[in-house]
Amino acid sequence: MPRPSVCLALSTSEKKQTAQKHKPSPESPHEVTFKKSKIKSPVTKRASNVEENGSDDEGDASEMEKNFALLTQKVSLQAPQDEISGGVSDEDVTGERHQAVCSNTSGSDEDENVSKPARGHGVGDELCPKDDFTKDLSEMSFEKVLQLQNKMGTKAYKKIAYGTMKNRQTGETVKQLSKHRPQEISAKKTVPFLRKVVPVKKTILRDPRFDDLSGEFKPEVFNQTYKFINEIRQREAEMVKKKMKKVKSNIKREELKYLLQRMENQERGRQRQEQYRQKDLQFKRKQRELVQQGHRPFYLKKSDKKKLELAEKYSQLKKGGKLENFLSKKRKRNAIKDRRRMPHQKK
Amino acid sequence: PKRKRKENEVEQEIEETPQEKKLRLAKLYLEQLREEGEWDVDRTLFLSEILVAPDPIEIRLLRGHKLSVTCLCITPDEKHIFSASKDCSIIKWDVGSGKKVHKILGGRKGTEARHVGHTAHILCMAISSDGKYLATGDMNKLIMIWEAATCKHLYKFTGHKDAVSGLAFRRGTHDLYSASHDRSVKVWNVDENAYVETLFGHQDVITALDCLGRERCVTAGGRDRTLRVWKIAEETQLVFHGHEGSIDCVQLINEEHMVSGGDDGCLCVWSVGKKKPVSVVKQAHGVHGNAGLKEPCWVSSVAALHNSDTVASGSHNAMVQLWKCGQGFRGLDPLFTIPVTGFVNSLKFSTSGKFLVAGVGQEHRLGRWWRVKDAKNGLYIIPLKRQNREAETEQ
Repeated sequence: MPRPSVCLALSTSEKKQTAQKHKPSPESPHEVTFKKSKIKSPVTKRASNVEENGSDDEGDASEMEKNFALLTQKVSLQAPQDEISGGVSDEDVTGERHQAVCSNTSGSDEDENVSKPARGHGVGDELCPKDDFTKDLSEMSFEKVLQLQNKMGTKAYKKIAYGTMKNRQTGETVKQLSKHRPQEISAKKTVPFLRKVVPVKKTILRDPRFDDLSGEFKPEVFNQTYKFINEIRQREAEMVKKKMKKVKSNIKREELKYLLQRMENQERGRQRQEQYRQKDLQFKRKQRELVQQGHRPFYLKKSDKKKLELAEKYSQLKKGGKLENFLSKKRKRNAIKDRRRMPHQKK
Repeated sequence: PKRKRKENEVEQEIEETPQEKKLRLAKLYLEQLREEGEWDVDRTLFLSEILVAPDPIEIRLLRGHKLSVTCLCITPDEKHIFSASKDCSIIKWDVGSGKKVHKILGGRKGTEARHVGHTAHILCMAISSDGKYLATGDMNKLIMIWEAATCKHLYKFTGHKDAVSGLAFRRGTHDLYSASHDRSVKVWNVDENAYVETLFGHQDVITALDCLGRERCVTAGGRDRTLRVWKIAEETQLVFHGHEGSIDCVQLINEEHMVSGGDDGCLCVWSVGKKKPVSVVKQAHGVHGNAGLKEPCWVSSVAALHNSDTVASGSHNAMVQLWKCGQGFRGLDPLFTIPVTGFVNSLKFSTSGKFLVAGVGQEHRLGRWWRVKDAKNGLYIIPLKRQNREAETEQ
């Protein structure tokens, strides 16, 4: 098999090189990520720890690891190792050995500590297989990593490879010191000629109509909080009336008359809006009661709504006694319209 | 001067971070020391409790400058003193005899081309720790390098865009750091007559600069009221705030502490780990002016005895004040005063602490706001006596 021999060649060449950043001659470029300290006893740990990972939830991944283990064990047979007794992939035996090896790894392998600074320091055994797993990840070829990722799913893979947010510790003590320490900034950035002597705040312009801070428009709430404006409007209407009486020039009186007319129309419009809103609310309340009682809710059509409104209007007019007046006016208007639409007769 | 990077970092193939480089150099140094069998004794045995005020008779005045002395420096072997003044001249004095050894005359304004020397006020001076090179900076944006022994002119460094206000050599090397009124700090290599780099950060004119053995220097930025420690290898700066007025002078006491004086009369001791001063003395030199318009006297110069707790400050209230730093540099207690009339523009302790030199003039070194008529332009050499002889260490 070509693969094991390549592994060996790389590991020996690695010993000669001092600088970490130099990459070994790439016979198989994806094998480059071997780390220095792993030369000591890389094979044993990989073999044993890979078996341990079989007990993880990711069953599919373990299959691949077993393949990998088989490969590496062939290497172990050739490599002069003291720790491995037999090359048999016996799960129980390797499981036991893993416990011993795990304790070694936490102490001896400095590389582990370097590559995983985010791990908590109260390391139990459960953290060990994770470290080894990530170590193995770095040693596997990229192709294998992708396959692993596909089988495991990206989320699980990322969780193991990069660690969860819980694992990452924040240095509390460092934060306390940094409050009193002098600020450290870059010395290479040129300073602008004008110095900031007084901090000037930039005023942020916001339109409350389109701003998210204002929230949603609720008419009840709006009317409640801005009730006082109605009083102001009344006062203003009175003021306009008074002024109209005083004013001498006709033009101005006309203007004021129009203004007053406008204000009164607006007021009437607002009242009407309020009435509609109230009616809608009542209708919705009725529906809710029906639903609570158990009936299904029904919704009126627009035409039905209009009919209801008309009926209400008639009843109100009747109360006031203006029904006849209203009806006659309506007939006249309709008559005029109909006459216009009738075809002309030529004489 | 040629512009090129330091060769050390380029030659090695392995890239190191500045921390790794420091570690490596420190290890090398320790190995060297072990080989030689020497161990440099820490001279913290200088206790300022035992310092005694000298008799006024023992204070010598060296006269020779026509105008106010602006800056001075003492050679590491304590035999000579270089001083410069507003008349653009540099004089080399012999400490023992008090005589002038050499005088480099100043030229008139406009004679830059043909005159060997300065033609504008010399604001700062520095001498390398082996006593080989002398560097002087003037208001014409020039830095002149002289050979200290013979006072021969060697190089001229141009590059600053405004007056050069601070110079310091790094101990044990020939790296020169310069600070200028153009708010930049430049690093030069005198051996190779080369410019190395520029550092930015100050927001106002830099008034003073000091450096010890580490590859970092401290600068006082006048009106921006900050002190900055520049870590040159890492290209970062540490910013310290705490003065109320312009900071005019700064000196390093040891690698972790520094003392600064400002024009609000405050004398502050700083530690590198804290952004605010560790101890402050307000109105260190009293007040001056008419009744109702009292203003604190500007602290125009400070000096610190290396690796000890003695600090000296000078102003224009006719005395040089000596201070003792408390435990952990937390307090500043006045020890005694030395009567000196005029503006004390520069103060320097000798390396062994045997004497203190004050460069005095009738005017402040940076301008002509006041003129003390009865002051003499010159150098005062003040011997410092100790009560207990056993406490002295040999060098």
